[in-house]
Amino acid sequence: MEQLFNFSLDKISNFSEKDSLERKKNLKLFLDSGLPNKKDEDWKFTDLNLIIKKNFKHISNNQEFTFEKEAEFIKDFEHNYIILVNGAFKLSDMSFEETEKVKIDNLNSFEEFNYQSINNLHSLNKALSVGGFNLEIKENYKCKKPIVIYNYFTSNLDNKIINNSNKIKLHQNSELTLIEYNICGNSKFLKNTFEKIEIERDAVFKNISIQKTKTNGFFYKNIKGNQGYNSSYQNYLVTSGLKLNKIEIDMDLEKENSNCFILSGLCLGEKEHQEIKTRINHLAPNCKSYQKIKNVLENNSKGIYQGKIFVKDIAQKTDAYQLSKALILDDKAEFNAKPELEIYADDVKCSHGSTSGSIDKDAIHYLMTRGLELSKAKKLLIKGFLNEIFENLSNKKMKPFLENIIEEQINGV
Amino acid sequence: MKSEELKNQEYKYGFTTEIENFKAPKGLSEETIRFISKVKKEPKWMLEWRLKAYKRLRVLKEPNWQKPKYPKIDYQDLYYYSAPKSMKNKPKSLDEVDPKLIETYNKLGIPLNEQKRLSGVAVDAVFDSVSVATTFKGELTKKGIIFCPISEAIQKYPDLVKKYLGSVIPISDHYFATLNSAVFTDGSFVYIPPNTRCPMELSTYFRINASETGQFERTLIIADKGSYVSYLEGCTAPMRDENQLHAANVELVALDDAEIKYSTVQNWYPGDKEGVGGIYNFVTKRGACRGKNSKISWTQVETGSAITWKYPSCILQGDNSVGEFYSIAITNNHQKADTGTKMIHLGKNTKSKIISKGISAGKADNTYRGLVDIGSKALNSRNYTQCDSLLMGNKCGAHTVPYIKNKNSSSVIEHEATTSKINEDQLFYCNQRGLNQEEAVSLIVNGFCKEVLQQLPMEFAVEAQKLVSISLEGSVG
Repeated sequence: MEQLFNFSLDKISNFSEKDSLERKKNLKLFLDSGLPNKKDEDWKFTDLNLIIKKNFKHISNNQEFTFEKEAEFIKDFEHNYIILVNGAFKLSDMSFEETEKVKIDNLNSFEEFNYQSINNLHSLNKALSVGGFNLEIKENYKCKKPIVIYNYFTSNLDNKIINNSNKIKLHQNSELTLIEYNICGNSKFLKNTFEKIEIERDAVFKNISIQKTKTNGFFYKNIKGNQGYNSSYQNYLVTSGLKLNKIEIDMDLEKENSNCFILSGLCLGEKEHQEIKTRINHLAPNCKSYQKIKNVLENNSKGIYQGKIFVKDIAQKTDAYQLSKALILDDKAEFNAKPELEIYADDVKCSHGSTSGSIDKDAIHYLMTRGLELSKAKKLLIKGFLNEIFENLSNKKMKPFLENIIEEQINGV
Repeated sequence: MKSEELKNQEYKYGFTTEIENFKAPKGLSEETIRFISKVKKEPKWMLEWRLKAYKRLRVLKEPNWQKPKYPKIDYQDLYYYSAPKSMKNKPKSLDEVDPKLIETYNKLGIPLNEQKRLSGVAVDAVFDSVSVATTFKGELTKKGIIFCPISEAIQKYPDLVKKYLGSVIPISDHYFATLNSAVFTDGSFVYIPPNTRCPMELSTYFRINASETGQFERTLIIADKGSYVSYLEGCTAPMRDENQLHAANVELVALDDAEIKYSTVQNWYPGDKEGVGGIYNFVTKRGACRGKNSKISWTQVETGSAITWKYPSCILQGDNSVGEFYSIAITNNHQKADTGTKMIHLGKNTKSKIISKGISAGKADNTYRGLVDIGSKALNSRNYTQCDSLLMGNKCGAHTVPYIKNKNSSSVIEHEATTSKINEDQLFYCNQRGLNQEEAVSLIVNGFCKEVLQQLPMEFAVEAQKLVSISLEGSVG
């Protein structure tokens, strides 16, 4: 273990004395048990220990960096923004919103992250986290424009690990669209993020994750959230381009009438490995959850979906759905799925479907008879296959932007 | 079926037969294994095989990833061999068999007297640790078919047994399979010679009678090139307050163009309404489609046992081979089931189909757990999986845990699963036409299971349908 990790707690500024003790304790916890491996059911399809050992050595948590880049903003639609550099909160601009309604600052307490450890990466994060942002939308305020988080990574990050934590809270009857936009250099580095989301009564939260270009990043993100009465959570994951990406979402539908949507469209290229793992806990009656995971797998890539729907005995009238679809375009590519249902209430409608296979030959034939080349026909079908996840997105400017991103990803493969 | 009738039939096989037993010393040890081997008059290689398994067992740990948890089993507090005393010197014909035993089987509806049998089903009756009688042996021998207790096969056909025993479930497989390899007592052996269609259904009827006894039977079925066999398995046990362990191994081997159809109606004692007693049914069933164009089909109706934990699987090695799995698992009261299948596609153009119906009532937990794995060389393979669960009441649980792996671009996997309760409209419709609640539920559930029930041979289908109704008795209202 010692050779692989070279962590130092001295480089991290602490909020308090207690914090520093906590960090020491958690670092020890992590070093004692190491990275999760495939013996752990949650990591069955992504042997993190093996992957990290193969790709990294002397991983350290050096925090010194200079931000040399000019920020490149998205021009397709007007938006507010937050800039994070190597995971740490740098600056923000909320010029489209009323100042006292949107609160954004540096995360200044890890207390909210003290839930029961999910895995060793949680201990690692608690030990080394450099903080992140803390975003709050006040009661009855509906954000006029989306907020984009520009997640910049500097170019000197080889064999480095970034640990950060973010907190997002939507107060009653508020509304927010948050776009996470990753912009990385060519360094081979690790990122370990924990995010806490709280969506109060009647609030609507849309979260979109985008990866700008292909990179050598190895990312892990853990989202833990809870939802109040009649609240809505929608998460769109369009993060192709990373070498490794595992996103874990654990959402509690605590009160009635809340709903949760997780939609993902990924087009994975050479040696890319992405896993989406979800756990939707239906803890109250009349809630709805909907998951649609679509993967296109090229050369040597690996796509994984592990989804779990848990329905508590009192959560009657639950409507839960999981769908995972994969197009496997290469014999070396692989798709694994484990769509799981754990149900204790009888008056429910829970179902899942999973398919994997190649592109429909008849559809290609049809397009070719209409004059399209083979490669164009394939691209068109792939585009149609992935764009389906955006069908319920109402924002007129956002949709073409996202479709464009998907198209770039397809062309990149 | 009328509801009063249903009530009386709670578990009609719960009686015990008062019969003198001849048992092995209590506990699991090398001594016990040597004892079993000696009683069975086994050759030396067989004893060595068992001891090898026992050696392996000592380093293995019981698996604990399953959903139904159970109190720790004290393996030293069990009898590993129990046989009716009258069977010590094996009777040569049915006339010599203890009339009490024959009566037991008659009570179970399994007449061992060949003339009395209506249909042509050959039966091997296993009572605790020994095979009591095998019917229609003569007729089968004429065709070159071997159907006998496995202990007899070890003596008479050592080459066949040596070649295939442990070839599908290796002795080092997992805890319960290894335990079985070390201490298995009896079971059936079937060999179908090339290009032969077995003229009748073969059947084994397992009965646990003695208390504090575990039943560890082993079944080995080999279908040689171009042959066909349909095999049925039934099981019952008396009602007792203790939990009894049943850890069987079933191995199937299908060579080129051969087909094996294996049906089970499992009706071990499920324990009482409070969850006291019942059988722990921890069984390993695995079939290998070794040859080209071979086919193995599993059909199971699981209604009994306190805990059912088994995954009848197919290893599709031969090109164009086919694996099928049809299952109904019903759990009521405190019963727990964790069952499903594994379809491992290795050969090209292999196909598999999984239909699983789980029904959960009372305070029961029913889990479907399955694996579909299409390897990178299994080009053009196909799988279709459908698992539906039905919940009755809000104190029971239904869970689905499928593992789906696809490693090449020409194969297609489809999987769908649903969980719901009995449709109110359907119930209302039945009530309106004069069926009471229980009859209506029974009708709807039978309809829900129809796809699987259709796969059963005639003789079993009728019994299974009744069983479905009885198992759910008391779960509505």
